[in-house]
Amino acid sequence: MANIGGERVEIRSASKHYGSVRALDDVSLDIAPQEFVSLLGPSGSGKTTLLGILGGFIQPSGGSVHLGGRDVTYTPPHKRDIGIVFQNYALFPHMSVGENVAFPLRARRLPKSTYAEKVRGALAMVDLAGYEERGIGQLSGGQRQRVALARAMIFEPRLILMDEPLSALDKQLRENMQIELRQLHKRLGATIIYVTHDQREALTMSDRVAILKDGKLVQIDRPERLHDHPANAFVASFIGEATLLPVERVGSDSVSLAGTVLKSARPIAPNGELVLAIQTEKLLIEDGSGSPERNRLEARVTDVVFQGESLRVFLALDDGTPLSLRQPSHYEAARRIPPVGGRLALSLHPQDTIIVPKAGA
Amino acid sequence: MAKSLNFRTASVAAGFFLAMLGSAMAAEQIMFVSQGGAYQKAQTIAILDPSAKKLGITINQDSVPDAWPIMRSQVASGKPTWDVVDVATNFCLRGGEQGIVEKLDFSKIPNAAAMPAEYRSDYSVAYEFYSSVLGYNLKKFPDAASAPKSWADFWDVKKFSGRRSLRNHPLATLEAALMADGVAPDKLYPLDVERAFKKLEEIKPNITVWWTSGAQSAQLLNDGEVDMVMAWNGRISALTKEGAKVTYTYNQGILQSTSLCVLKGAPNLPTAIKFLNEAVDPVHQANLPLHIDYGPANPKAYDTKVISEARVKELPSAPENAKVQALMSYAWWTSPAGEAAEKRWLQFMQK
Amino acid sequence: MTTQTIDPSLRHQRREQALMTLLAAPAVLVIVALVVIPVGWLAAQSIYDNGFTLEHYRRIFTEEVYWRSFALTFRIALMVTLLTLLLGYPVAYAAAHAKRPWNVLILACVMLPFWTSVLVRAYAWLVLLQRTGVANQLLERFGLITEPLAMVHNELGTVIATVHILLPFMVLPLYSTMQKIPRELMLAGASLGGGPLYSFLRIFLPLSLPGVVAGLTLVFVLTLGFYITPELLGGGRTVMISMVVSRNVELYAQWGAASAVGVVLLVCVLAIFAAVGRIIPLDKMLGQK
Ligand SMILES: Nc1ncnc2c1ncn2[C@@H]1O[C@H](COP(=O)(O)OP(=O)(O)OP(=O)(O)O)[C@@H](O)[C@H]1O
Ligand SMILES: [Mg+2]
Repeated sequence: MANIGGERVEIRSASKHYGSVRALDDVSLDIAPQEFVSLLGPSGSGKTTLLGILGGFIQPSGGSVHLGGRDVTYTPPHKRDIGIVFQNYALFPHMSVGENVAFPLRARRLPKSTYAEKVRGALAMVDLAGYEERGIGQLSGGQRQRVALARAMIFEPRLILMDEPLSALDKQLRENMQIELRQLHKRLGATIIYVTHDQREALTMSDRVAILKDGKLVQIDRPERLHDHPANAFVASFIGEATLLPVERVGSDSVSLAGTVLKSARPIAPNGELVLAIQTEKLLIEDGSGSPERNRLEARVTDVVFQGESLRVFLALDDGTPLSLRQPSHYEAARRIPPVGGRLALSLHPQDTIIVPKAGA
Repeated sequence: MAKSLNFRTASVAAGFFLAMLGSAMAAEQIMFVSQGGAYQKAQTIAILDPSAKKLGITINQDSVPDAWPIMRSQVASGKPTWDVVDVATNFCLRGGEQGIVEKLDFSKIPNAAAMPAEYRSDYSVAYEFYSSVLGYNLKKFPDAASAPKSWADFWDVKKFSGRRSLRNHPLATLEAALMADGVAPDKLYPLDVERAFKKLEEIKPNITVWWTSGAQSAQLLNDGEVDMVMAWNGRISALTKEGAKVTYTYNQGILQSTSLCVLKGAPNLPTAIKFLNEAVDPVHQANLPLHIDYGPANPKAYDTKVISEARVKELPSAPENAKVQALMSYAWWTSPAGEAAEKRWLQFMQK
Repeated sequence: MTTQTIDPSLRHQRREQALMTLLAAPAVLVIVALVVIPVGWLAAQSIYDNGFTLEHYRRIFTEEVYWRSFALTFRIALMVTLLTLLLGYPVAYAAAHAKRPWNVLILACVMLPFWTSVLVRAYAWLVLLQRTGVANQLLERFGLITEPLAMVHNELGTVIATVHILLPFMVLPLYSTMQKIPRELMLAGASLGGGPLYSFLRIFLPLSLPGVVAGLTLVFVLTLGFYITPELLGGGRTVMISMVVSRNVELYAQWGAASAVGVVLLVCVLAIFAAVGRIIPLDKMLGQK
């Protein structure tokens, strides 16, 4: 299957109200052709609603949707040419794999002679060559997922929507599929909008990730930007493995954490309550080797948990404020952790000292 | 040993006591079966209670709409529990043929012996009369002069427009067809079955409903669903009493009866025969029409003066009315020819 | 070693089996008493009349009366079945797709007839459909007809009332099947380019077929045994097979003659179930998963 290119997607002030519930509240998004964008957010944040509005299953209460510059707000789903992979695949149980995959061709009344060839191509692409005659019931979860994918791609849509497509798979399969999906995306070049609960999945796969909360778009950014420049405490808490600690503003570039002054290399909001977001991997055990401008802290070890490739060390500041850090589980690193109850000197580089407004936590 | 002896004495004593009690009670009671409803209530007041009192017996009652199959299975079982059955006369006759009904000794039933011969058979005594008459809607035919008066009129769809209903059963219907075809009421039997069905084919397209229950026939006429119907006289007079604008004529009515018969091997045979005689007693019989629109089976009832002059005119078996009607021959209907005609009915209905 | 570890579980299994058999015994007794014995008695009656006889069956297979009634019964059953499907499918569809209070309401309306007797419903139809009935009066008032239509006292009346009575038996299996069809399938159909009608025909309809077959079978089989409705609304001309059974009791005064017709009808019904059972299992047909 050739690279068919992607569709530009513009969502302008889209809202959806169910009575007093605002499932989606004034969301605008611009998605470039060929982009892979994930929608990430807690349960009930409006991800499926947004996808439904894009797919045409849900009429927005306000706003508009444009595909490739075309206003499709009132176009019925079957005329939008969007490939959709549903959360539980939505394969047709009474049809064979081949019939499922050929459904879009048949619905479009394409010449029958082309079916077999196209179906073979689509199945080959998802590594299911020769599965045409199989029944849906005879497939494993991963295979079903791939059939759904082949079916959504066979008509070469320029936009593909996926609603938690991997959530039903076990970890191993899930990670394999993540890689396959990325490769497929590269090859096809279609725009993909991908709903997930799993921040790790979102970060590894996407060009950009949109964070939703209570129907509102909180932030949309590249994964590393989300990680390093969270727009607020909510994003910071949602991404990575952060500890959020309330801090006082001391100057334009410094805050006070329980009496200890910390410098930040990043701009600090001029007013409003602030929180410090410390990602576990960024808090280091002080060994005297860090850069001179580093912030320094002291804490007591409260627990050490072995987690395979790394150790998670739980700490408490003098006033009891909890913290944690991660150490690789190799001997040299583990050796530096004192036993539980022991004191530990810590360092945090100003570049890693992320201060965000508390609002939106 | 002592124990079992005691037990035996006790059971013998008990058995003796029960036998005594049983025979005492057997001499006093019978099981009488009729068709239930208002009809059974009326006869309880008019005939059953007075007879029980006069004879000093207990009359237990049961009622079933369709007694015939049960009569058969009771006798077949060898232990019937019914004694006297009030049932359409043809079943008594058929029962006689098939050994289900006791042959009657009329010397023990003087009241019946005095009745006209055609009102009884070796196996049965007529109990009451009703008639299948031509009824019609007075709104459709307000003028007596231009109302249908005979089966020929009923069959004449040109002169008498309107919707019609007949009973979904050959009894009386074949007789009506033959009278419509010109056969005199007293020259009907043996029925010319071929001719009757041919005449019925003629009217068939104009029959709106073939009714199956008496209640239905009344409802059809009352609701104006049909304008003319062959129905039982009691059903139409009941409507008239409720104020419905309907009436009927006895002219060419088919006089039918139910009869009493006694099951073969009835548990209380002698009492049953005594009751049979009492049931057709002229005075009891005369009481019946005071409670329901059926006529007494014993013509002597009309001489008792129990029934008023006006009431007599309304009764199907009153001599004046009986004269213009045909008396159904149940003997013919239970003959092979009659049974064949009955079986042919369904075939006729299906075509 | 291994046999020792397996043995106890086997013994346990056997004990459980014995317990199950014991627990099932009352149910089996009830079934024997209420189903097996009467049906056996029916069958025995049909071939015994002072000795073994096939006379009753000979009559059924040679006399035209029976053929006509069987033909009529099957024709009416077919009409009733198709009409209930035509009427019931949209109703079941609406109930399966309506939101919370509405679906209950729709189903309640469908079930309503269950709470009145067949007799009452037959009379209600009489009141509605007869010549002087409500339907004819309305039609006449609006000038749609000049002569009352003959909607009752014929096959039409029988079919109308029977459809009404049996509609729940069509709607319920349809509803239970439709409810289990995931909503996403139709959304998927649309997203893949299938218009509403196309998606319905290719996805929803085939998936609802088990319910359709179940409904068809139930209604057909139930219609075969209908008695009161054709008796009251058929005008006497609509002689269904159940009426032949009743007539046989009266005419031949033998259970045998009626039993034989009953046995033939029962065989027809079992044959239908057997044939349909090859397509969908019986338990599915009766509504369970
Ligand atoms: N049909 C509906 N009627 C009423 N409220 C609805 C409806 N659909 C969704 N909602 C509400 O809208 C909000 C957003 O729902 P949505 O399904 O978009 O969430 P989501 O982000 O997909 O959640 P999840 O991760 O659990 O799938 C929720 O509060 C939900 O309860
Ligand atoms: Mg969702």
